[in-house]
Amino acid sequence: MTVDMLIDWFATIGDFPILSFLLAVIISGVPLFLIMALNAMVAVYVERKVSAFMMDRIGPMGQGPGLHAGKWGLLQTAADAVKLLVKEDTVPETSDKFLFKMAPYIIFIGAFLGLAAVPFSSVLQVADFNVGVFYIIAVGSIGVIGIVMAGWASNNKWSLYGAMRSAAQIISYEIPAGLSIIVPIMMAGTMNLQEMIHFQEGNVWGILPNWIIFNNPFTFIAFFIFFISAVAETNRTPFDIPEAESELVAGWMTEYSGFRWAVFFLSEYANMLVVSGLAVAGFLGGWQSPIPGMFDTGAWGLFWFMGKLILLIFVMMWFRWTFPRLRVDQLMHVCWKVFIPIAMFNIFGVGIWKLIFG
Amino acid sequence: MSKYFANIYDTVNTLWTGMRITWGHMINIKRDNVTLQYPEERWPRPERNIGFEHEDYNVIRSRLHVDIDDCIGCLKCERACPVDCIKIDTIKAPNRGEDIPEVKHTGETSNGTKKAMVVSRFTIDMSECCYCNLCTYPCPEECIFMVGGPNSSKHPIDYEFSEFDRTDLIYQFAKKLSPEQKDGLQNPKPEAEA
Repeated sequence: MTVDMLIDWFATIGDFPILSFLLAVIISGVPLFLIMALNAMVAVYVERKVSAFMMDRIGPMGQGPGLHAGKWGLLQTAADAVKLLVKEDTVPETSDKFLFKMAPYIIFIGAFLGLAAVPFSSVLQVADFNVGVFYIIAVGSIGVIGIVMAGWASNNKWSLYGAMRSAAQIISYEIPAGLSIIVPIMMAGTMNLQEMIHFQEGNVWGILPNWIIFNNPFTFIAFFIFFISAVAETNRTPFDIPEAESELVAGWMTEYSGFRWAVFFLSEYANMLVVSGLAVAGFLGGWQSPIPGMFDTGAWGLFWFMGKLILLIFVMMWFRWTFPRLRVDQLMHVCWKVFIPIAMFNIFGVGIWKLIFG
Repeated sequence: MSKYFANIYDTVNTLWTGMRITWGHMINIKRDNVTLQYPEERWPRPERNIGFEHEDYNVIRSRLHVDIDDCIGCLKCERACPVDCIKIDTIKAPNRGEDIPEVKHTGETSNGTKKAMVVSRFTIDMSECCYCNLCTYPCPEECIFMVGGPNSSKHPIDYEFSEFDRTDLIYQFAKKLSPEQKDGLQNPKPEAEA
């Protein structure tokens, strides 16, 4: 369901272009926001459970059907959401109040716009661009502005350090991420996410599905570089130096509380969704079934896409609760001296591969 | 150059080792879990060996309990308590040794003693109790005792008595009397006297 389809459909009813545009945007935007909120609620719960299980704990158990009855704490995030919404909204006395209040919304816009181009299935996609990949990479950078705004406006050395680190990190890691996502663009010959997924139909190497990750060794490496860079771009552990708790309290989020902080949180988890969505669409066959020719009609597309998305988000959590945090110099070393050379070599290799086998 | 690739191999290898470990702990959470959800789950009580058999051990320092139907309201335990954690209020019964069904008062104790008092309040603040056991000796009816141990036939052992609120540690033993019932006992109606 793209915005364009809705606008075309409204056009068949009557000639009111501005109203139909607004209606189409609202009709497609509200479910998107609901997906974002639901994702954050479920992901926070799963993250707490996964972290607990990996540490031999059991995680939240109190809030759920039957208080203190050991029902897995299913309502924990609902309780947390209510708590965050009713918490006092503090704005520091000496902060730049306008920028301080604006920052969460800028970050939110960055995450939300990215979600608009994620192809949830062959029909469920809000905006089907011919430059989808480029668009997601581009709007993903808006978040940095919000982070720097938040860090600067807080008038707090921790926040500023966090924001500066975050800006350096995100700008650095966009390069290997961008260079790696060029590989599927080269393979499929298009930036349109739907066409890219259609390219990944059928089999390769006999039994494997024709996903770009399995196409050749270079794409295989490119997927991992893209995915790790994506984790770095979402500021998650082991790349969480912008909000390193032990050094910077909470980095650029230090001064935020209540609803504004909840918006940051929502955006972080939405960003995970967007980068995982791009990885799934670019490398893991999008909504294509892993068994080519089976279970690939209608709602199965949504099922496979969400399944792969959830798998990647789980791997991100797995990273977070396994690896220790990188130092700033190690972070830059990994990016500039390891990922970027290999990513460039990948582009070269895929080009040669296309010439010889394609 | 070979060191560069060796480093990358080493990194991937060690990261994968770490991820295998956390994965193993995650899927074996049922086996590895160390959290005990305390009020619902409890540690198994170890078999104690304190030098002699439980039956022979005539003092146990656990929770105080009162069989209120046997209490005659003599206040001896309240006076014996060194920390004043026992509080007793009594009202003179209209007729000694008679049951008062309205307030569930029994006239005689299990030893056959006729009760002269209705106990309207009997509270023990276990957060103040110093477990000296001094209150149990003067009791003429042996109705106040530490639970468990030699008294386990009267009341099962309770050594934790954890509560969510500190006021819940004040144990109420007397039967609940409404203000009207108290008033009725303190100022008997003329026809009851007649």
